[in-house]
Amino acid sequence: MKRVQFEHSAVPYLFVAPQILIISIFFLWPAAQAVYQSFLLEDAFGMSSQFVWFRNFEDVLSSSSWTRSAIFTVVFSVLVSVLSIAISLFLAVRADEVVRGAKSYKTLLMWGYAIAPPVAGLLGNMLFNPLMGDLYMAFNSFGFEFNHIENANDAAFVVILIAVWKQVSVNFIFFLSGLQGIPKSVQEAATLDCKSPERRFWTITFPLLAPTTFFLLVINLTYAFFETFGIIDVSTKGSPGGATATLVYKVYVDGFLGADLGGSSAQSVLLMIMVSVLTVFQFRFIERKVHY
Amino acid sequence: MATVTLNQAEKTYANGYKAIHGIDLEIQHGEFTVLVGPSGCGKSTLLRMIAGLESISDGEISIDDKVVNKVAPADRDIAMVFQNYALYPHMSNYNNMAYGLRNRGHSKSEIDSKVREAARILQLEDHLERKPSQLSGGQRQRVAMGRAIVRQPKVFLFDEPLSNLDAKLRVDMRLEIKNLQQRLGITSVYVTHDQVEAMTLADRLIVMKGGIAEQIGSPIDIYEKPETLFVAGFIGSPAMNFLPGKVSDDRTHVVVGDKVKLDLDHDVEAGRNVTVGIRPEHFRLCGDDAGPVSASVRMVESLGAETLVYLDFGIGNENVTLRVQGTHQFAKGTVLTLSITPDMIHLFDSETGKRI
Repeated sequence: MKRVQFEHSAVPYLFVAPQILIISIFFLWPAAQAVYQSFLLEDAFGMSSQFVWFRNFEDVLSSSSWTRSAIFTVVFSVLVSVLSIAISLFLAVRADEVVRGAKSYKTLLMWGYAIAPPVAGLLGNMLFNPLMGDLYMAFNSFGFEFNHIENANDAAFVVILIAVWKQVSVNFIFFLSGLQGIPKSVQEAATLDCKSPERRFWTITFPLLAPTTFFLLVINLTYAFFETFGIIDVSTKGSPGGATATLVYKVYVDGFLGADLGGSSAQSVLLMIMVSVLTVFQFRFIERKVHY
Repeated sequence: MATVTLNQAEKTYANGYKAIHGIDLEIQHGEFTVLVGPSGCGKSTLLRMIAGLESISDGEISIDDKVVNKVAPADRDIAMVFQNYALYPHMSNYNNMAYGLRNRGHSKSEIDSKVREAARILQLEDHLERKPSQLSGGQRQRVAMGRAIVRQPKVFLFDEPLSNLDAKLRVDMRLEIKNLQQRLGITSVYVTHDQVEAMTLADRLIVMKGGIAEQIGSPIDIYEKPETLFVAGFIGSPAMNFLPGKVSDDRTHVVVGDKVKLDLDHDVEAGRNVTVGIRPEHFRLCGDDAGPVSASVRMVESLGAETLVYLDFGIGNENVTLRVQGTHQFAKGTVLTLSITPDMIHLFDSETGKRI
């Protein structure tokens, strides 16, 4: 495509300079540092370091705790994304149909958006406190032997529950606006063509929401990967025994608590590669299917 | 083929606004009925009530003698064409047309033959695999028509289907719709605010205002004998001229303004205040002969085939429109003499607006 070329001047560069500066300081520089660090092995006191090529990567990939964390991260991210998208889609469709008191429903459902992940984690922590947590008590009084302090599955359930709850309101807002973006006359035409509301939803409404859903899938996977850090740190701290530590959380634990800077850098470089691959995959394969 | 009967149909919204005030109407088999009126007159609401997209607050609507007040839209056996096409953007044009049939459990081969037949009639055969977004406005409206005709419904409902098209396409599609409706013989209800569409398409015309049917009749009846001032002003373009007048003592003419006297053969009492309605096309230019009316030219609009002349009748700032065939050049201020035959004069009661 031919574009009109204007005379070169310094002004456009001045306009983008602040953004480039921010990206450089907060992303490019740390990323480069991480890559560099991942090739170094430091002694326990940080007095000296030596260049070890790919040894850190070998150590990370061969460690069972990293593999376990990687598997947990994948399961966690998929479950959080799918559950929060499904629940919020259901809520948005229902709230869209409500005629009386529609505003109150919508406001109440959006409220969770204002809560920061660590606060959500704190709420979860209190609800599942073995001494006074209402949900902890409730589950046990129903006869479940619920113990998230010792049982890895129960702990995973707690983090997933909090993470999903926190994300539902965000997805809800997008789905609601997506639903309102579907022309009313198209929905009316569908009521004339198809009697069953369920069938109408799956053949008309859902396909028309596909771009929104794809967008939310990307957002939610990113959220589950990175932003759940706060929730995990406040609620389970990766316990029991690292069973609920996502890769991001493990980078923090190994690097800052375990003082293994080289190993933790290698982990973060691996994470970066995984996320890049995921992003390319999403846009290459999934986005192609949602265009209309 | 079906009849549609409205029996005191009313619509009151939740906020208390009454959009439709008790309408009675009987639409015959295969009849093309047009609802026309200014925006906000309730014509679309009435159509949507027949479709089932709006509930009926009071009264009854029946299709083929079966009351449909509580019947779901999909079960009323109607098809609707919307103003903005309302096609399903994610489906191919083929699937847009096939969707309603699939949901009604038709077999695959039956659907295919019906869709292809509709596509042939509407000249859409080459576009079936494309999506609506790849078509022009006129083609999209054809797909929307196709979606309606494949189902062979009892009733077609059209909600201003041509408003989004450009002027030339609108004329073509208008002819096409009329042609198609006559060929298929399906009872149709058509909503428009465009009186040319209304006049050309309708077997029967319903002029609405404020949720009330002002007049129901054939287009020509309504043009020739408008029952109210509103109908007289709404139907016909350019609009009918209205002049305040008073019937003379000997009842042979009506006096308009200070100087204009028009002959009458109406049976109307002497001295009554009336509104005189004269269509622009019913004046006759008298040339150099002395006519009963003389007025000076204020402005001229030449349209080629006809010329619109705006005249000063000496009644305030009101223009009186005159429509003459062919091209004429009149300088501003030229005094024209006109005549009009008494049977072309419409008289309306000044207070009630009803025809006398």
